[in-house]
Amino acid sequence: MPATTENNQGSFLGRISIRRNQVMSMDGSHDQELEDLELFQKHVGDRFSDLLSSTAEDPSGDALLSIAWLRKLLDEFLCCEAEFKAVVLMGRDPSQIAKPPLDKLLPELLDRSVKSLDVCNAVALGLDAVKNLQRLAEIAVAALHVAPLGDGQVRRAKKALSALVAAMLHDDAAKGTERSRSFGRRGNNTNTNTNKDRPGHARSLSWTMARNWSAAKQIHAMSSNLAAPRGAESSGLAQPVYVMSTVLVFVMWTLVAAVPCQERSGLGTHFPLPRQLGWAHPMIGLQEKIVEEWKKKEKKGSVGLLEEMQRMEKLGQSLIEFADSFQFPGETERLEEVKKQVEELGEICKKMEEGLEPLQQQIREVFHRVVRSRTEFLVVLDQAGKLPTPTV
Amino acid sequence: MSRLEEELVHILVQHKQYFEPEYMSFHSNRVDMVYDESFRSVEDEQIDEASRSCGASQSEASTVDLVNPAVLQYLKSIANVMFGSKYHQEFSQVFVTSRRDALAEYFVILEMEKLSIEDVLKLEWHCLNREIKKWIRAMKIIVRVYLVSEKRLCKHILGDFGSFYQFCFSEISQSFMLHLLNFGEAVAMGTHTPEKLFRLLDMYGVLEHLAVDVDILFFEEVGSFVRGEFHKLLRRFGDTVKSTFLAFRNAIATNHSKTPLPQGGVHHLTKYVMNYIMTLVEYGDTLNLLLVDESSIDPAGNKYDTSALSLCPVACHFLSITTTLESNLSNKSKLYKDVALQHIFMMNNIYYMVQKIKCSDLSHLFGDCWLRQHTAKYRHDARCYERVTWSSVLSTLKDDSEPNCVSQRTLEKRCKEFSTAFGEVYRIQTGWCIPDPQLREDLQISVSQKVVPAYRTYIGRNSSNIAEKYIKYTEDDLQSYILDLFQGSPKSLHYQHRK
Repeated sequence: MPATTENNQGSFLGRISIRRNQVMSMDGSHDQELEDLELFQKHVGDRFSDLLSSTAEDPSGDALLSIAWLRKLLDEFLCCEAEFKAVVLMGRDPSQIAKPPLDKLLPELLDRSVKSLDVCNAVALGLDAVKNLQRLAEIAVAALHVAPLGDGQVRRAKKALSALVAAMLHDDAAKGTERSRSFGRRGNNTNTNTNKDRPGHARSLSWTMARNWSAAKQIHAMSSNLAAPRGAESSGLAQPVYVMSTVLVFVMWTLVAAVPCQERSGLGTHFPLPRQLGWAHPMIGLQEKIVEEWKKKEKKGSVGLLEEMQRMEKLGQSLIEFADSFQFPGETERLEEVKKQVEELGEICKKMEEGLEPLQQQIREVFHRVVRSRTEFLVVLDQAGKLPTPTV
Repeated sequence: MSRLEEELVHILVQHKQYFEPEYMSFHSNRVDMVYDESFRSVEDEQIDEASRSCGASQSEASTVDLVNPAVLQYLKSIANVMFGSKYHQEFSQVFVTSRRDALAEYFVILEMEKLSIEDVLKLEWHCLNREIKKWIRAMKIIVRVYLVSEKRLCKHILGDFGSFYQFCFSEISQSFMLHLLNFGEAVAMGTHTPEKLFRLLDMYGVLEHLAVDVDILFFEEVGSFVRGEFHKLLRRFGDTVKSTFLAFRNAIATNHSKTPLPQGGVHHLTKYVMNYIMTLVEYGDTLNLLLVDESSIDPAGNKYDTSALSLCPVACHFLSITTTLESNLSNKSKLYKDVALQHIFMMNNIYYMVQKIKCSDLSHLFGDCWLRQHTAKYRHDARCYERVTWSSVLSTLKDDSEPNCVSQRTLEKRCKEFSTAFGEVYRIQTGWCIPDPQLREDLQISVSQKVVPAYRTYIGRNSSNIAEKYIKYTEDDLQSYILDLFQGSPKSLHYQHRK
């Protein structure tokens, strides 16, 4: 029976390795292998099903694309990844992994992995921009918390909120502003960009990815060649490779949809997911929901679908309206309303304060894991003699 | 307050300063090693010696003024006012933004290209080499000078407000540090062919040197993420260097030739390996620390006089490397059909190895015993060569005990056989090569010491019985023909006549 471990995933891994060790011949192991592969798919389906159901209207769940939900998404990704490695690598002869169709499919997956690393970095940078929005919101919250509310404080809040809302609607924030910057040395500033001196403008995302790098293009490139294995191939190792590839692309796609990234407009909102495969259904469900959100915001050009950002924007707009119409001392009813909104805004800031850095660190963990797995696969492929030895 | 904010921005932007990276006072403790020869170059017979380029390897930590000192007091007073009025969030917003922009611009000055991980993995080696050098320089300047100064600036302006300045500093610097570390991650991910080892060692060295500075800069809780990532990268590089180095021996072992090296000279694999380890000796300290856990199993199981050797890991590994090389060379020598050439080839190559080791820092690592043993080896090959080639030639001059029993015809026939044999050896072996002049001369002398007296004796004893036309060569002829051997330019005696 499986080795005792703390969690389900651990016992699953234990089951596989024990089975592998028990079986000597290829023939006998074939059935076990099939079962392992099926279990992997089932688990993937289960995990994404959890993610889908947690987005239900029930307030105890995490809203779709909220910080907490994204953290869960990344957790599930790491679990899938670990299981994938167990199914494909553990106890397996390197030559099995190097033969067709894996000899082509695995390098493709590894190539996608490399691309996903850059997406991780872009998303981490994007979260810096979100942090900045948080700061602006905090200013507004601090300003509007003062009682009795005076003109000065309202003006202050409005300034911060205007910057906040502007940053969220314009793609400038994510594009970076090298075009508008002069590179004169020794602080020679001939910059005529009027936005420049406006404090708090999200142009503080002053560090960007490589020029011409595009998150949308990256995701698109990652999803190319992503095709479900057909026929005889669908029962071998090609299937889990396809599953993992799909999971990887989906997770990256989701991150880019949520977080401000360089050049995410035109994100292929319909990258193909296999409708005919059961494990993919929850993913398809999530995709549909996200695409719906995307379409809603597309006209306004929102920089990211992060749930907290969306709510911040709404509150921001509303509070700006209030600020515009404010005259000291203000109506009590209105002030009560505003107080609630300010509290809500404060709550969001708190969520960001507590969640953004852990999310960034989690992304970094994903980064390191992807690097490590890639190296492990390369070592195995090398052992299988896929990499040519030098000849003189 | 809003006006104050704008003024703050204005001042920060107007009065930021950059220091020219070139004017920083760097001094090198150690020259940077450059070793670019590709392991797989087949056509090049010449291997460039490791070219040394003087570069800055140590920079002194120093602080510079990132903002015109004249305005510092004014900035501080703005800070005081804004903090006092609870506008500290606006202040830090503006301040952090402005400082981040300044740092971003400085990266441009340093000519640091923004490369994605994918870009780095796809770079050609010479491009990657260049980027790595830029990165090393940037790391030193940014960590030791720029960020130190930035933190000092933050402290100066915001020091009165508790740990606020640390938080600002972290916001300013974190993503840039991560960007630098990402480049390192990308390089560590790449394929680790032997020629990369020196650059990897340089990168590891830089990370090692800067570790303390980073620990100090990011010492607080808020900086722990960057600190953690830095140390992760340092460890990865340590592993990368180790595995690349260990893979080097494998690369030698699996370096197969299909055809033998023409002329039997020094194989470029030998030159590459010897020059490689000679260059590596410079990194001995770093390698010793990294290799301390790795046991080096000598594949041939040879025992060396360990008392004469330093037992450091580098020495063990180098020994293992040269042993692997010898074994590989031995296999390569079997590709020659001519056994004599096999010996010449081995002699050339072992001699080259011995010379390289004797005349460098490697001599301390390998020790006298190794040198003695290998000197004996190449001398043994020389003797084998002589036996294989010249015994049969000289056997034609065998004297019978009873000169009177041998007919003139036989004597003449033997003379002819000798001439033919000698001519054949000459034809073939003038085309062989012993690159080292000393070694060549020694062998030529040794050969002539065997051949010439034997010839002299034979002719001297039998000259009365042999017609002149059969005595093709004089002693002097032979002597000078022998000097033509191993010069690498094939000649023949067909049209040469006795003077």
